[in-house]
Parts: sequence; C-alpha cells; structure tokens
Amino acid sequence: MEFEEFEDVLFGVPLSHGSFADARDDEFDDEILEAQSDGEDILWDLGSSPTLTPALTANTPDKSTVENLGRAATASALAGSGRPARAIQDRDWVIARIEEMLETVVDGLLDDAHPVCITLTSRSGLTRRRPNPSEANEAIPSPRVQQISFPGSNAQEAWRFTVLVRILELVHSCLVDNAVMTKRDMYYRHPDLFMKQSVVDRYVDDLACTLRVSRSQLNVTAAAKGLVAGNFLIRRENGTVAHGLSEDEGILIPKVHDSDELDLSLIRWILVMEKEAGSRIARLASLTSSKATFRSLLSSSRWRELGSHGLVLTAKGYPDLASRKLLRQLADEIPHIPMYAFVDFDPDGIAIMSTYKHGSYRLAHEDVTSKDTPGLHLPDLQWLGVQSHHISQSPVTESDTETGPAGDPQGLMRLTARDRKKAHRMLEWDMCAEDGPEPVWREELQRMLMLNIKAEMQILDELPGGLVAWLSSKLDVLQGSRSPVLSICSDNELLF
Amino acid sequence: MSKQYLTLHTIDDAHPSDIFALAPTPSQVLSASGSSSIRIYDTTSPDFPLVQTLEGVHPLGIHHLVTAKEARRAASVGFEGKVKIWTQTEEGEWKQHGEISDQVKAGDIWAVALSADGNYLASSSINGKVHVWSVSEDGMPKIREYETKGSFGLCVGLSQDGRFTASGHENGSVYIFNNDTGRLAHSLAGLVHPVRSVAFSPASKLLAAGGDARIIALYDVNSGEQVANFTGHGGWILSLDWSDTGEYLLSGSHDSKAKVWRIETRSCVATHSHGDKPLWTAKWLPKSTRSEMFALGGGNNAISFYREAAG
Repeated sequence: MEFEEFEDVLFGVPLSHGSFADARDDEFDDEILEAQSDGEDILWDLGSSPTLTPALTANTPDKSTVENLGRAATASALAGSGRPARAIQDRDWVIARIEEMLETVVDGLLDDAHPVCITLTSRSGLTRRRPNPSEANEAIPSPRVQQISFPGSNAQEAWRFTVLVRILELVHSCLVDNAVMTKRDMYYRHPDLFMKQSVVDRYVDDLACTLRVSRSQLNVTAAAKGLVAGNFLIRRENGTVAHGLSEDEGILIPKVHDSDELDLSLIRWILVMEKEAGSRIARLASLTSSKATFRSLLSSSRWRELGSHGLVLTAKGYPDLASRKLLRQLADEIPHIPMYAFVDFDPDGIAIMSTYKHGSYRLAHEDVTSKDTPGLHLPDLQWLGVQSHHISQSPVTESDTETGPAGDPQGLMRLTARDRKKAHRMLEWDMCAEDGPEPVWREELQRMLMLNIKAEMQILDELPGGLVAWLSSKLDVLQGSRSPVLSICSDNELLF
Repeated sequence: MSKQYLTLHTIDDAHPSDIFALAPTPSQVLSASGSSSIRIYDTTSPDFPLVQTLEGVHPLGIHHLVTAKEARRAASVGFEGKVKIWTQTEEGEWKQHGEISDQVKAGDIWAVALSADGNYLASSSINGKVHVWSVSEDGMPKIREYETKGSFGLCVGLSQDGRFTASGHENGSVYIFNNDTGRLAHSLAGLVHPVRSVAFSPASKLLAAGGDARIIALYDVNSGEQVANFTGHGGWILSLDWSDTGEYLLSGSHDSKAKVWRIETRSCVATHSHGDKPLWTAKWLPKSTRSEMFALGGGNNAISFYREAAG
C-alpha cells in the first residue's frame, strides 16, 4: 500500500526524487499513528488535569507506551539514558532532550571523532505490517531505532537529516515559546524542504516516539483547531459567502484572504474563550461542568440573541496561528469593537490569554514579534474573567464539604505543584514585573499562590442563571446597553 | 456585649497591590504586599507617616512578613522563595541581617513565625514539612525538622516561649510540635478544610486555628482538646491574632470582614469591614497606650488603624 511505499521513500532505500513525487498525495491516518502513543490530546500547558493529581494525569496517557517501550528503552541514548525510567516529562524536560539531540549534532560538527548523526526511534508503519489481524490485540511492537547521519551516504539521507534538524528546531521554538503549532503550520514554513505534509507528520511522530511523549506534548497539533461563531459574513472573491452562524457548533477558523470581504457590521463585541467544551477530567469528576464553554454558549437558548450581535472564538487552549490571525484581522477591521478574553482562573488561563494578547511572552518584552507571527498581537484584549473576585462572588454553602482530589463542587481546585511552578515562572515574566504592563496578571497570580486555588470557567455556572447569563450581563454592562439585573433574572429559568 | 472600635486612620495606597502581611512593633508597623518592597509606618504619630522603605527586597512580591514580639527582628518571605531576616538598629532603622540558607532551597519555605525573643523562626512548606531555625546563631542553622503527612502547610505558629510550633495544613490538619523534645505533641482534628491561620495565645496555653471552614477552633495546647468554636465568619479565615493580654482574638476573612472575639465569653464583640476585597492580614498593635489598637490590610491596598472607643 501507499503507506509502505512512502515509508520506504522516507526511510528505506534511496530513491530518486521522481519516485518520491509519485508517492500518493494522501495524508497519514492520524488516528492510527496516534493510537500508539498519543491517545489523549494532552498539551503540556493546557491539558493538565484540574482535578486529579498532576502526576497521575501527566503520565496516564502514555503509560502504556512506556511499558511497551521498556524493552527498547536502552536502545535510544537520547530518550533518557542514566535517568530514572520515568522522569517527570514536563515541557522543560522535552526541551532539554531536544537540546541534547541538537548538542550531539553540534558535537559531531566540532569533532571529527563524533559522527554527525541523530538517533531516531520510529514506530511508524510497524503496526500496518502485521500480517495477521489477530495479533492486533497484542502488545505494540517495539519501535525501530535508526541513525540518520549527515552528510550520509546519499542525497536522500542528507535531506532526511536536514528535515529532521529543521523539525527539531521548530518544535524546540514552539516549546520554548510555549506556542502550539499545527503540523500544517510547520509544513508551510518550508514547503520546498518538506516536499509534502506527510513528511512533517512522519518526523514529528517519530520525534514524539523517540522522546516517548505524545505528539501534543511537543506542542504540535494535527490541524487548525479553532472554532468561531457569530453574526459575520465572509464574501469570497469567487462569490461564495461564509456565514458565521451557519453551523450550530461554530465553523472552523476560516482563512480570510486580502481579496475577501469581511462583513462585521453587526458585531458589537468579540469574545475569546479558552475552551470548546468542558475538560474530560472535569466532566468525570463533577458531572456538572461543560457548561461554561464555547459549545455550551452556542447551545444555550440565549445564543440566538447574543450571537446576533457578537462573535465568539475558541482555539481550544493555547491559540494557533490561524486563530490569532483571524482575531488580528477582526481587530484591524473593527478596532473600536471590544475584544474580551474568558479563560480559566489558573496560570495556564493567564498564559493562554497572554499568547492571544502578546504572542510569545519571551519576545513580548522586546517589543518585537517572532518572524513567523508578525503583528499578531492583540494589545486591546480585555480580561473578562475568571478573576479572583468572581470566585468570592460564587455562592458557598455549608454543605460544601471535603470532596478529596476532585475539589469542591463549586469548581474551586487546589493548585498542583506544576501550577505553582508555572505561576512562579510567570511572575518572573517582564510583563508581570512590578512596573510591567500587566499588573493585574501579577496580582492575580499572587492571589492564586496565596490561596493555593484555581477555578475553571465553569465555576461561574454556580451563579444564578449560570455562566451564560453571567456572560451576557457582563457583556451588556460593558456595552452599557441593558440592565444586567434584568437579564440575569429573566433568564434564570430559561437557561438551566 | 459589643465593643466599639473607631477608625483612627487609613493609609490609602499604602502599597500598590494587595497587602499580604502586617507586622507590628511597639512603635511601627511593617507592611508587605505583592510589590517588592517592605514599607514601614510609624504608629506613634497621628498621621502614621511612612518612615522607611526597604526597596526591592523580594522582586516577585512578598507573601509573609513577621516580627518578634519582644525583639527588634523581622522575617520576610518572597514569591521568589527567599527568606530574609531583618534587624532594627538602636536608631530605629531596619537592616538585613541575613538570609536563611541552611539546607533549604528557595521555595521550600512558605509561612513563617518568629519566637518572642526573635531567636527562632518556624516555617511551613508546600510539602508539609515544618522546620525551626536558630536565627541568632551563625549560619542560622536548621534545628528542628518535623514531618507531617505532606499536605501543604499554609500557616505556622510559634509560641512566645518558643516551646511549641504549630502548623495548619491544606487538608485541615493542625499539628502542635514540642520544640524541647522535637516531637509531635498533638494532631488536632476538627477543621477538615484548609487551615489558613494558627496563633498561640500569649501565655502559650491556647492555640487558635481557622480557615476555609469559617470556624475558629480553640485548642488547649497541653491536652490537645478542642475547647471552643467561634462561628460567624462568612468567608474563609485568613488571619488570626491574639491581643497582648490574651483577652481578645482578632480574625480577618476573605470576605473583607474583621472580627474581635472575647475569649472569656466566647463571643464576637465587634465586626468591621475593610472594603470589599480579601482581608489578608489583621494584627493588634502592642498595647502602648490606654486603648487597644489594631490594623487591617488587604486587597484594597490600604492599611486601616482602629482604636478601642473610650468608655
């Protein structure tokens, strides 16, 4: 099948470029590749479990991978030699591993005694070669280990090495900046080098396999993930019209070209939400959440009215370029329309908002944008919530008893060790400095640390009328158009 | 049987952000906030002037600041994780005396308390460990290390005689340790919710503990028995402080309310509101004049001073 042919092109015998180009233009089946190592779409900084212990959730998704890889563990010097079998694989850990790989390359370049090569563990294609379907339930086969050296024995190998180094570099910068990139973004960075999308897909998956993490832990996602909904139109050059309310669950973030016309005349506010739907874990833990999200907003009875004069967008966590680009285009188009961020009250929530507002925080203080994201900042983005004072508003009853690691029914949760570490790191950001541009972020991070609590957006569902009523009254107040009290009361029963 | 306390003075914008800690001396109150500086106000002048600022001492903000009851010593802990010890010169100026570094990594220490003589500092930590340091000795060595079940130690207390250390934890545990023997004296049950403040009475006979249960529990230090429960706060209790005589307990809560409790009658005798932001810290000022005074600090960035009404 094409897959094997293609794999041979990538990893097997040298082939001419001609036959390479002949490889079918299909995409790898993500599901199959990911089923092995990547069952959960957990990103370092947005997938952390709010309710379970961090160690548990951070490790659960790839636990089986670890076990299965155990046999091959020694094979890869890069995957953690001399370390405990399961070091805490946070983002810093992955960054360090990638830097080690790059250092090995540099060592090789500096010292003739060292070969210039990268050791890669690959599981790609192995499952597909299973001759007998009955074996499908057996343990996942061990990955292959291969060396990719430079200049290598032929042009093909040199190309593979170049592709891999470039991918390492891209993944490294994503992780360092804590940005999320789609595989598509990566491909379009160097289409001439990568030749086709599946090359990027393959090497990214192999890198994840080598480091024994999930692909999403490399901050690389499968595709544009953002959704948008609202009463806007995009009139394409070719005459087609996309309407922002055409789908009940929102439309995928559209690409708006210069030649397209954006009709935003009915938009009075723009709301950026952290989450599309309640997190899996929160749902399991409390069964009550998943209201305070993009999806719940769109499915509420209130949306018909709200959506007629607003626009809601979610990039489902840390935003990708497509979402940020669209928001920037909206801000350019209707600069007087307020844009609000609605994120969890936790360090990640603020970091996500920061990525929308300032882009990569490491570059924000230099007032330059990284070359890949020119001018995508949204300096006027306002923080709608959740903030610490919203938490004290939420009603608390005496029945609020200890519920163990699942947290309070109100949705208040304790900070994990990772949350605290992240909050401390964020306090060191220049923009959170004492005289920095975001004094409120600094204060809210400090309050989180003082109380050792965080809260998901869903906490506002505890308010009368739920989150949707809160949002609409908040937006009304900010618009100065209607009485907030009225809208809460009148919708109390309607909503929930 | 209520008591009247009058607002004596309010220092608006005492700090640019939330005031997390107030620490009084007989003539001053030291204050710490989310800003990097410690600001020191004179409590003997009617307008409570700012007399000294220790600039930029904890760049990420200061979460704890305490003074010794009977010595010119203070300790501060910053979000960057450092613990600094301060002493006051004869002239009244505060200077850094040292930094705790013996067997401690930055960030290991969360809450701190000083003994009355200023010679010992007790600390709690994220991992539940409770330590005592001898801060008058060279190198400020760690002299006691108490293990608990690992729940975040949100608060710590040291009895004025230095004999007992108490810690309050996120899982609701309260422990009393005997510093003479180096052993756990009592594990106190009853609060279940995070305990955010513990305080020994001046005679070291009682321990008050409070937190998210919105109840203040009083324990007998010797027996470990719970002897009283004060209910009335509607918000999490963030701060507890005994008056010099041990007659009154001052409590501050997340819903910006401060309450004064009379120990003898086990009743609330006064309630004050400090704006609409969390009241992080509520402290009695050492009794120097005829009337009792206390100071409140919190999320409204102001410090308010209250005085007992005459009569």
